[in-house]
Amino acid sequence: MREYEYHAPLSLERLFELAEAEGMEVRFLAGGTDLMPRISAERNQIPRDRKPPMRIIYLGGLGLDEVTDDGESVTIGATASLSALLDNGAVRTKLPALHEALREMAGVSVRNTATIGGNIMNASPAADSVPPLLVLGAECLLRSAAGERRVALSEFFTGPGKTVARPGELLVSVTVKPGRGGSAFRKLGRRKAETLSVVNAAACVELRDGLCESVRIAVGSAAPVVVRCTGAEQALVGKKIDENSVREAGALVVKALSPIDDIRSSAWYRARVAPTMVARALLAAAERKRG
Amino acid sequence: MSQILRFHLNGNPAEVMAGEAETLLDTLREGLGLTSPKCGCNRGDCGACTVILNGNAVKSCTVLALTVEGKSVWTVDGLVDGERAGEPEGGESPAPRSLSGHKLHPVQTAFHEYGAPQCGYCTPGMVMAAVAFLDRNPSPTEEEVKDALSGNLCRCGGYKKYVQAVMAAARGEFDPLPERSGRNV
Repeated sequence: MREYEYHAPLSLERLFELAEAEGMEVRFLAGGTDLMPRISAERNQIPRDRKPPMRIIYLGGLGLDEVTDDGESVTIGATASLSALLDNGAVRTKLPALHEALREMAGVSVRNTATIGGNIMNASPAADSVPPLLVLGAECLLRSAAGERRVALSEFFTGPGKTVARPGELLVSVTVKPGRGGSAFRKLGRRKAETLSVVNAAACVELRDGLCESVRIAVGSAAPVVVRCTGAEQALVGKKIDENSVREAGALVVKALSPIDDIRSSAWYRARVAPTMVARALLAAAERKRG
Repeated sequence: MSQILRFHLNGNPAEVMAGEAETLLDTLREGLGLTSPKCGCNRGDCGACTVILNGNAVKSCTVLALTVEGKSVWTVDGLVDGERAGEPEGGESPAPRSLSGHKLHPVQTAFHEYGAPQCGYCTPGMVMAAVAFLDRNPSPTEEEVKDALSGNLCRCGGYKKYVQAVMAAARGEFDPLPERSGRNV
């Protein structure tokens, strides 16, 4: 059977030492809600290929779970739990789309352990925190022994389960500049709680004199990565956000998508339901701006 | 390979060898012989393995055992009243007791009185999810209770009675809810 190593470093210096491990698969562990089921499944099977040892590096001892709000931007530490973020005042008041997403992610007992950084680094196309973060213009801070770099979330994902983070590079935090737009998130799952999205959507709308000045739309679970729908965005600029305009914009959303059939839904259904989820998110975001 | 894991289990210090990739659920069941957390799906879906970790309900199959070093874990086994309740008083229906004759937590009493468990496999997880929730929110609405139990699947479909029973426990229909008794440590 495969060998496993476990380390719980108390400093980033030590972490980066441990992250350099020849001939090992290095995995960072935060909440564990994605990684542990994968490890358990692997351990319960007769191994087909000889896999290199896995070095598990636990991030819980590094104090990377703080949320700071400097007035202009909110910075969320990668290991902040989803429950902690739900209870956070800055997230609730300044990042309503993210707050709505958190409320619909899994259930209480998963949210108590799962982290925002884990949701990002797991890089699932269905990750519910990603569409809101994308429309809110989030930026990721990556660190490694070589230094740190910032990557826009829109450039972060390269495919299902894949990101631009290099081996040994750690997601430290994600920074959001909420601006003055109103934002909202809508999720369609197969049940109300504890479910993965069939399709999810987030929108962020800025209005001037009642007309749409700028808008960002993101749809998840309908392409290899969460996608922005620029065609629909452009169609809305200068218009009033109402039932008609969001329906027209919704029809353009499908062009940005490349949905597949999987255990949760069919490509056919996803393509038909995505415009509706986008329309609902847009109306809610615009309403939030007016209110 | 294993490492020594030291933590607080049901209010007492515990020490056990835990494998490097082992889940908390496996350590509790195999290493410590506490079989009240059940293994349903082993992938964080069903909630049968729910325990209270540092005051929060968590699915112990998604927690790497060694990460609970120094933390506090509560299972159903820690809920019974410290003192034995003595012989059951006679009468039509004596108050339910644990197998060891201890008084039950009001949530357990309520589950019993409302006939909430059917096959019983999800029950320890339901109890821990409900207790962690009531520790935090002792006078909830029904919607809040449903949300608190949303991570616990019951294949018998007994959801309604579980929700009614938690509401009854919160109302103090049986014994009053005890103080948080250090589970939040």
